[in-house]
Amino acid sequence: MSLLASRNELSEFLAGVERRAYKQAMFAVRNAENALDIVQDSMLKLAEKYGAKPIVELPMLFQRILQNTIRDFYRRQKVRSLWVTLFSALSPGREEESDPLETLESADASNTKDGPADRLEQYQVIELIDQYLERLPQRQRQAFLLRYWEEFDVAETAAIMGCSAGSVKTHCSRAAHALAEALRAKGVEL
Amino acid sequence: MNEQQIAYRIKQCLNRGLELDAGKLVRLKAAREQALARQRVESRIPVLAWAGNIIGKSGGPSALVPRVLLPMAVLILGLIAINHWRDSQLAAEIEEIDAAVLTGDLPLDAYLDKGFDAWLKHSSY
Repeated sequence: MSLLASRNELSEFLAGVERRAYKQAMFAVRNAENALDIVQDSMLKLAEKYGAKPIVELPMLFQRILQNTIRDFYRRQKVRSLWVTLFSALSPGREEESDPLETLESADASNTKDGPADRLEQYQVIELIDQYLERLPQRQRQAFLLRYWEEFDVAETAAIMGCSAGSVKTHCSRAAHALAEALRAKGVEL
Repeated sequence: MNEQQIAYRIKQCLNRGLELDAGKLVRLKAAREQALARQRVESRIPVLAWAGNIIGKSGGPSALVPRVLLPMAVLILGLIAINHWRDSQLAAEIEEIDAAVLTGDLPLDAYLDKGFDAWLKHSSY
């Protein structure tokens, strides 16, 4: 028998997921205020529309809402200013087809000699990973974070993203290898 | 290193990087509390939920009397009246038959005679 989420259970769930949700939004929109707004909107939507759902359904519902809220943010941004859209289409991070880490990799290749992993502080590695995640194509980042950070299985990730399981596997594989390559180019061995 | 191993290491780094400054934590806490204040809670008793739904949809308890209760009362009274009328009709028919049987020329024993019954059926063809 499935149990409906009580106030305390919903509170615990939101407290457990809010930081990762903020980071996910931050990777996507690259602005702390906008990321906080996205997390707040997602929390409100979850509580208002699905506050009476069983607890076990909340993680998937919340992720779906979060991803949709991020997508809605992109849409609003496009409507607000056309030039931003044109700029973002040319800049890395929003481009679906090309992998910006490939260009990043070649640019950073010269730095590998004087950037050994053992001299980097832990926070620097984290900073690097954050930066590279921001630069990943949106769908790759989304699939990677849902699959490996939020620990959804392939089918659940596909349901949240609204794509096939095959696409999720492809996105995850590309994202993981692109991140590993980019870090390696900086002298960071995972 | 395969995909799973890469993902695992990156996940570890991401989890270590979850420390946020106090301002952001305060904002997230406020967002959480706002969401909890608006949590939708459904009644776990279906009957009460249904009643609440009817009351809510009809515009509150004051609107419930003319919209729901009055038509229901009329319907119930109508059904009682129809039932009473049918009973009285049936009683009248039975009375009529009894009167005809008792006042008829045929003796009552004739109706208990199987042979008479068979003759009636045969003669009706």
